[in-house]
Amino acid sequence: MSTVSARGLVKTFGRGRAARRVLDDAAIDVAAGELVAVVGRSGSGKSTLLHLLGGLDRAETGTIEVAGERIDGRSERDLARLRARHIGFVFQFFHLVPELTGGENVALAARLPDAALGAARHAAALVERLGLAEAAGRRPHELSGGEQQRFALARALVNDPALVLADEPTGNLDPAAGALVLELLREVADEGRAVVLVTHDDGATATADRTLRLHEGRLVNVALAPPDSPFPPSAARGERVA
Amino acid sequence: MLGTALSVGYSLATGFERAAEAADLPDVIARFEFEDRAEADRRVAALPNLEARAYRAESTRVRLSHGTNSSERGVVHLVGPGRRGYAIVEGRDVRDRPGELVVERGLAEEWDVRVGERLNFEFSDVPWRVVGIAVGPDNVAFPLARAPRIYISLTAVERIVAPEPILVNLALIWTRDPSRVDVTLQQARATSYGVDDLRFVTRDGVRVLLDQAAGIVVALLVAFAVITLVAAGVMLGVSAHADVQRRLQTIGVQRALGFPRRTIVGAHAVAAVLVALPAGVVGLAAGALIAAGPTAGLLRVLNELSPGAALLGPLAAGLVLTVGLVGGSAAWPAWRATRRATVALLQGAELGGRAPKAGRGQGFFALGMTLARARRGRFAGTVLVLAACVGVVALLLALASLLGALRNDPGTLGKRYDTTARLPAALTGTVRELPGVKDAAPRYVAEAADSFALGEPVRLIAMPGDHTKLEAAPLASGRRVAADGEAEVGLGLAGALNLRVGGTLATQLPSGAEARFRVVGIVRALEREGRVAYVRPPRLLAGEPGLEPEIAIRLEPGADRAALGRRLRALGAEPARVGGATSSNAGLLDTLAALLRAVAGVTALVCLYALVQALTLVALERRPTIAVLRATGAGTATVAFLLAGVVLATAVPAVLLGLVLEVGVLAPVVGRLAAGYADLSPRVGVADAVLVAGGATVLCALAAGWVARRTVRAPVVEGLRAE
Repeated sequence: MSTVSARGLVKTFGRGRAARRVLDDAAIDVAAGELVAVVGRSGSGKSTLLHLLGGLDRAETGTIEVAGERIDGRSERDLARLRARHIGFVFQFFHLVPELTGGENVALAARLPDAALGAARHAAALVERLGLAEAAGRRPHELSGGEQQRFALARALVNDPALVLADEPTGNLDPAAGALVLELLREVADEGRAVVLVTHDDGATATADRTLRLHEGRLVNVALAPPDSPFPPSAARGERVA
Repeated sequence: MLGTALSVGYSLATGFERAAEAADLPDVIARFEFEDRAEADRRVAALPNLEARAYRAESTRVRLSHGTNSSERGVVHLVGPGRRGYAIVEGRDVRDRPGELVVERGLAEEWDVRVGERLNFEFSDVPWRVVGIAVGPDNVAFPLARAPRIYISLTAVERIVAPEPILVNLALIWTRDPSRVDVTLQQARATSYGVDDLRFVTRDGVRVLLDQAAGIVVALLVAFAVITLVAAGVMLGVSAHADVQRRLQTIGVQRALGFPRRTIVGAHAVAAVLVALPAGVVGLAAGALIAAGPTAGLLRVLNELSPGAALLGPLAAGLVLTVGLVGGSAAWPAWRATRRATVALLQGAELGGRAPKAGRGQGFFALGMTLARARRGRFAGTVLVLAACVGVVALLLALASLLGALRNDPGTLGKRYDTTARLPAALTGTVRELPGVKDAAPRYVAEAADSFALGEPVRLIAMPGDHTKLEAAPLASGRRVAADGEAEVGLGLAGALNLRVGGTLATQLPSGAEARFRVVGIVRALEREGRVAYVRPPRLLAGEPGLEPEIAIRLEPGADRAALGRRLRALGAEPARVGGATSSNAGLLDTLAALLRAVAGVTALVCLYALVQALTLVALERRPTIAVLRATGAGTATVAFLLAGVVLATAVPAVLLGLVLEVGVLAPVVGRLAAGYADLSPRVGVADAVLVAGGATVLCALAAGWVARRTVRAPVVEGLRAE
């Protein structure tokens, strides 16, 4: 059974002649324990897809199911609850609160009204596990990019989500730090979570179980394509991914 | 707020002068026993510095009636030819023919008398037609003044009673040089031989008398308006400053593209002015409109005129001040910003320069408090603005309480007695022996005038022995009266007559006799704006032998007032409870209360605005943080909780600072501005302070709820893109 399943997603930005449909009947299924990388050109709609899957934005049409619950058409209140229980986000720019230490940033998620039981203990354990114990007392501007992203990952995992959505998590990191983050995401998936990773990073696609390319609003499987081919055979054939 | 302050302050501060100018109020009004007009004119015409003169016959306690309204205390002025001394505000003045009269505006409004209607008065069997409505600023309006007043042509009445001459008892004198009116008065006194009961009131004296009706409160309101202006200035400055702070990154981009500093600063100033100009016009107009009704009501009660179009000048000046302040406040931080390194501006300016301060907790509420303090300059500015608003609101509440105390509490006058009974002095001992009486003494009061300038009214209060047991205005300098011939004078009187300890107070008593006293002390007396003097009875009674005292009675705590009242009635006197300083006219107090409420409402709105603005700025700047929290699962309640932390971090120090500001600065300043002659400081009490804190809490909750709702309505992804 898929942890996240989306069908017939349509999303358009702008109106009239300026309208641009970035998702056009897009579909995706990611199972528990699977790490899926989504690639595509800048502006192709990768981040939009992630936002829709995470309930941060609404599709014009289509259905989305996360951890067995439909999230399309739900109220903002319900979406907030669903995000707290089932979804973790990792962003390119980390988005740590600058006034809080790394440890406090992680613990903040444990204080949400819908946080999981024992989330505070889990937060401390995550900091330990991600090798951040020594840096936990430092504030973001005193941390390296890699450390900041690991704290952001820890924050995403505090409530033990079934789905982790990572938007260019290595985009602001040097190769070594990026590799470490990818390694951690792999571990997260191996623990039984579904991970969707939007990236430009070749290393990321190598880590992924599957790689999907977003092309003209649709997701196509590029798993069988040669790594150096800009137009993999499946995309050229217009093969749908389900 | 500025519009309200300007409207209230300007209208009240200039009300008397405006009305006096419109009415052509004379420099001196002389009252005397009825006398032949030609004889009176012979004396007046010989006065120096004389520009013009007119005469009236004033009849008091005349029955007036209109419809179902009537009064036995009416005053009829038979107005002689020449200048009038009152302003016609509707209809026309009386002509020299019988059957026409002009009524005072207060009477017209209270009795709903209109031009063209008829009004009965005791001297005529048939009602006379009202041809006009007038304002006479030599007294407050009916019903604050208990006697309704009408004006009739003296010549018209002469035609009716001819050949009997009409005697006059009022001379209106206009001088060529009003600053030398004292010379005219001295000469008038010197040539007054044979004229009985001669009393003078100068234009300044009229102002003093009018001020005694509601002067303390009006002065407090004017002083409050001044304070409000300062608060408005601080708020405008901080607001504009915050706006520039928000655009620091844009300034960085402009600098990087090569824009000259002058262009950037000019653009910010012009942009701020373009926003401030229409906002200022609307705000000033709204503030003036809000205050217009209550202010006009107060002016009507005081027999003064609304400024009308003359208010446009101060409002225009306020607009220039506002726009200039906003432009300057935008230009200054922009100028400072352009001096910073461009790269620092591009990195986020404020935060880029220094490490953010660590939070003191991990919860959302604590995080909100930390976010509020992260922008130190804005945090301080917002706290200052809110503190100013809180201070002003606390001041208004304290003023309202003081108003009640002035009306009801004799202690505000330094009076320790709370009941009086009009009994002969010989019965003082008997009264002292009555159960529940702690102390009693005869109290003599004479309304005298300073016998040098004759323009200053002086209330002489005489009590035998140590008067401080029953009446003790705080001593400002010198010592208490210890012997006959000595006087403690109020600071107001000392200031008006330039009296010092060791000087001489020369008074003209109502009998015409003069009584002189050596000034031994100066007291901060609130009564009659400090134009009082405490003396011993012998010298006063020597000049005014017929003066009857009242017995001032101080009660034991918990004394049975009803029983004492019965015993005093058995002695032959109706006991009277002692009130406070200001008029007990309910209409006036209601008008003042409405004015205070209007200003307090505007100030509370300013508080709410400042809170919402501070929160909105934080929410805008922290969109990524809030967006990530929302992405992590934070709902409206959590965001509101976070914003409550922001608003409380600002409001708590602001409320504390505001209360300290009120008690330490505003109350003493306003008290001194309003009544420097007395210990009058509208310090906020515990109940009012609690009310202010409660109100601030409600405003905080409103602001946090509203901004949280607005923030959560925006899509999460917008916040994530904001980085």
